[in-house]
This record gives sequence, structure tokens and C-alpha cells, in this order.
Amino acid sequence: MLQTTTSPGPAPTVHLAGELDLDCADALRAAVFAAARGAQTVVVDFSDVQFIDSSGTGIFVRLCLDLRSQGVPVTAQNLPPQVRGVFDMLRVRELVGEEVFAGI
Amino acid sequence: MTARAGGPNAGATAVDEAACHPATLQVCRYVARSRTLRTVIGRFDLGIPGSDLKRHAVEAIRRKEFMAYTVSPPDHFDTDELCFVPHDGWCDILSIRTNGWHRHHGDHRRGLNEILSDLAAAVACARLRILSAEELAAERTRGDLLVAWEIDDAAELAQARGTIGAMLRDCGLGGSARATYLLCISEAASNMLLHGGGSGRLSLRRLDDRVRAVLADRGPGLNFVNWMEPPAEDGQASMGYGLKIILDNVDSVGLHTGDAGTTLLLDHMTT
Repeated sequence: MLQTTTSPGPAPTVHLAGELDLDCADALRAAVFAAARGAQTVVVDFSDVQFIDSSGTGIFVRLCLDLRSQGVPVTAQNLPPQVRGVFDMLRVRELVGEEVFAGI
Repeated sequence: MTARAGGPNAGATAVDEAACHPATLQVCRYVARSRTLRTVIGRFDLGIPGSDLKRHAVEAIRRKEFMAYTVSPPDHFDTDELCFVPHDGWCDILSIRTNGWHRHHGDHRRGLNEILSDLAAAVACARLRILSAEELAAERTRGDLLVAWEIDDAAELAQARGTIGAMLRDCGLGGSARATYLLCISEAASNMLLHGGGSGRLSLRRLDDRVRAVLADRGPGLNFVNWMEPPAEDGQASMGYGLKIILDNVDSVGLHTGDAGTTLLLDHMTT
């Protein structure tokens, strides 16, 4: 189960809470794309994510690439150890670029 | 068996045939004592004489070395990669048949050739055991059953992880070892939902020296064709990394696949 809350503004922050797996695909994509409408950039905050696997990671990678192609870069912040470990395992930095993690 | 002949300019007919050709993993086993070949996964229909397969299997056993060949009929793009994985007294023969034009999605997802290479390497390193139907029947019920679910919805994954996590803690798994094993179980369960017909059974068993997660679906088997689909409009959940995560991080993996479905045994050693 994934919960999302968004802080509005020119660089809105989508705060994620819960588990990022196959079940969360629609919720994650919908929340980040909604936040990206009219925004210059979007921040995704992982501080309350308790679990992520390759399905959740795949959704995040895909939305980073899609939004970048639409001119809205995405950045990630506050990665807990489990998320950081899975992102390292899947070499997410190579897939989406170091700039997504520039603030970390 | 020789290096592949033919190339990308061989003509439209070969290209059309290649575009329709399914990607498959087939496994047969040569048993030294009886000098026999028996199919373990798929039909193992390569058009290669059994005597040739036996000869190479015998050589692999004698040399105790993993051997791999590329096999291609003339004027075709279909390439079979044939791997001989020797054990003590028998040799697994893996045939990895791929569509030469569609080995990679061309995006961030793991390519088909990479996925199949992972499988072959894991078998060669004895991290992955290919199980016959008889071996699966014996292994899947070993030990004491701790818990079991029928999973047919992604919404059930989180609860399953929570319950399994608590049981693993009771079995003495702590910290990062438990977290990594749970991740691998989650990956295998997601594969059941994505590629295994949309549902399956997840159970946790305790053996003398390990805990074992058994994930069994009733899907079409590992046919790989659906791994070459273009990304869906609303996003692509599968990056093709689930199996790699499992093979890289689980102590011992058993695999049986066929028309009746796929079963994975994920073992974490406790001694």
C-alpha cells in the first residue's frame, strides 16, 4: 500500500509513505504526473518508504525518463537504506542519471 | 556445431520467420551411468543428433568444465546457444533459443540475452538447479509448512511480506539477510503475477538446514516472448531484473517450468 501527499509550488514535492511494489504502480505514477503539471521540476521524497522492489523501482525509473522527455526533471531525496540498497543493486543512477540524486 | 552462418542481409523470408519465432529455454539431462538423454524442460527439439549431444556432454563431464556453443542453421537468424553444465555423473544441457532481431528492448529494461545468460551462468555456478518433475515433486513438500497463500492480486503482496518477515525473524533471520530474502520472495511473487498467469501459491517451509520459499504458478511457463513486449502506455513495471536479483542473492534456487506452470524454490541456509 502506498500513500502520497504533495506539497504544491513551482517545485512540488511528492512525499511517499508505505511500500513500493507492483501494487503501487498506478498511484505513484498518477501522483507524480499530477504534481508535474505546470511545474518546473518535481521532487520525490522517499523518507517514509519501508520497502521497494524492482517493480516499484521500474515505475520510478520510467516516470523519471518520461517526465525528463517532457522537460520536467525529477529528483529523489531522503532515500532510506533499503531503498538505497535496491537502487544500487539495480544501478538506477546509471539508468536515470546522477542528476536525479544530486541533492543526496 | 560451428559458429553461426548467415547475417543481417539474408533476406525477408528469414527475417519474417525470425520475428515469429518464440524464445525458449529447453533443458535436457545426460546421465552418464545409463548413457541416456532425458528432457527436463520443454521439448528439446534442436535437430541436433542425440549422439552429438551425448559426445559433448561426456566431454564436459570428463573436463569438469562448462561449455557453450552457438548453433545456427544456414541462412537463418535463429541462434541457439547450447550450454553444457557438468555435474558429478550427469550433465545439464541448456538450449537458449532467442529471436536474433529482438534480444533487447532498446530501453532501460534488461535484454532477453542478458536474462538468459544469467540463467545459464547460475546453472553453471550451481546456484540454480533445474528440476525435473520428479525432483520437484520430492523437493516442494520437504520440511514443515509454516504458512501458505494463494496470491492473485498485487495488493496481497505487502501483507504476505509482513507475515513472512515475522516468521523469518522467528527462524533466526535478522537484519539485512531477512530484508534481502524478503526482497527476493517479493520479486518471485511479482513474477507470478506479471508473467505466470496472474496468480500462484506462495508457501514458506522450514527444513533442517534452511528455510524454503516455494512459489508455484499455473501459467504458460518461462517462454520469454512476453519479455519482448513494448512498454505499456501507463508505465512499465517489469524491468527484467527480478530473476537476476533472485539468482544473485538467494543461497540456492530450484526451478521447474513447463506448460503446467513454473515453480521456484528459494532457499536461505540457516546453518
